[in-house]
Amino acid sequence: MAATPGVPLISLQNLRKVYTRGLIARQQTFKLEADLTIDGPGIVGVVGPNGAGKTTLFEMMTGSNAPTSGRVLVAGTDIHRVKYAERDRLAIHYHQSYQVRRFRKLVPSAFLAPSPVERPVVHLFDEPQFNTQDGYIGFMLDFFRKLRAEGRLVFLCLHPTASYHLEILNEIAERFLFVAGGTVTKVPNFGSLIAEERMRAYLGPEMTRAAEALA
Amino acid sequence: MALVEAEGVHVRFGDRVVLEEINLSVNEGELHGIMGPNGAGKTTFFNTLTGRVKPNRGRIRLDGADVAGLEPHAIARKGVARSFQIMTLFNDFTAQENVMVALPAFRARGFDMLRAVAGDSGLADEANEVLASVGLGAKSAISAKLLSYGERRALEIAVALAQRPRVLCLDEPTSGLGTDGTLRLAELIRSLKGKLTIVAVEHDMRFLFSLADRISVIHWGQVVARGTPRELQENPWVKRSNLGSFE
Repeated sequence: MAATPGVPLISLQNLRKVYTRGLIARQQTFKLEADLTIDGPGIVGVVGPNGAGKTTLFEMMTGSNAPTSGRVLVAGTDIHRVKYAERDRLAIHYHQSYQVRRFRKLVPSAFLAPSPVERPVVHLFDEPQFNTQDGYIGFMLDFFRKLRAEGRLVFLCLHPTASYHLEILNEIAERFLFVAGGTVTKVPNFGSLIAEERMRAYLGPEMTRAAEALA
Repeated sequence: MALVEAEGVHVRFGDRVVLEEINLSVNEGELHGIMGPNGAGKTTFFNTLTGRVKPNRGRIRLDGADVAGLEPHAIARKGVARSFQIMTLFNDFTAQENVMVALPAFRARGFDMLRAVAGDSGLADEANEVLASVGLGAKSAISAKLLSYGERRALEIAVALAQRPRVLCLDEPTSGLGTDGTLRLAELIRSLKGKLTIVAVEHDMRFLFSLADRISVIHWGQVVARGTPRELQENPWVKRSNLGSFE
């Protein structure tokens, strides 16, 4: 495995993304801040209300969206300083079925560094299409387990709209990131996630009851 | 022994990655199913296997020799024949003529020879034999355009078989077929099993579960699961799905 012992697989250092509107009187329309580290391999569930910034977070983690300030270190390397074409060797982002490879090229690639590793260390799956009818869920979850067993860090972003989405999160995720109100909070397990007031408000009473039955 | 081996096959079209990394092997004589949701990269992998798409990285070995990047006709000459998701028959030709033009003996004579060989009973017999093997023995004199959809699918397979391939690649063979047509096609493919190596890309899981010796599941441009149908059906989420009780 590519990761160096003692170096966290991902480290978000004072990461901040701000979107503004208006040229003269600038008005902030979106803000997301994250400051956290995940040392070793694992499967991390990412949840939070629509528009909270889950996809923006993923884009910053994989180098397709530059942060306003702060750094993203993947296995010790600042992914935003790696050549665009090689960023997927550090972290790879799937939105539903497709790999995201739209980079905002602010600096010419020639001024950027090569990736120190050949195969991705961090894998992000943004809203994979899970369907209970076709059976693919099981194969997808086994794939996440395989990646983890190989020493990689897997993020799974899911918007729970049906109780089986909660079952998936409970079955596969060892810990969680809760994205809401412009911040990213680490949550140690499914029980703590469901106990979180903002999570309950986001899920609504019916889904909260379904989640409590699983926890 | 592996007859077909894909190792680290990576394909991108511009910025779009279609195959991230495909690793799989197909043993000689087995029916290997490839399944996956829409957009998983199944057909692109097939096109890579048959030379229509050149991989950006990785190897495809046929009987140990690297064929990645060879032209489709060169790969076909090495014994790989394929059918297409969209049918590619000569509509105005009879079933027999469609098969005849694919016979190695016919192609050895060069093109524009159809009229000249129309009376060649050797070629006609060979074509009829292939047609009989796919259940179209009685339809040999009928134009391809007059055949039913299911019969056209079978004729496509006959055209591929006429090339005497070592590996038969079927791209979504059940596409467009109803329940009866699918059952008949399954019968036909079952009758070919063991006679040659078959790689079938198919989104219909039931079809593959009932026919394949081994299956590779492709998603996100990679093989996310592999095993025999029984092994894959052991997965608790598969058991819960529509496929759970299927034998």
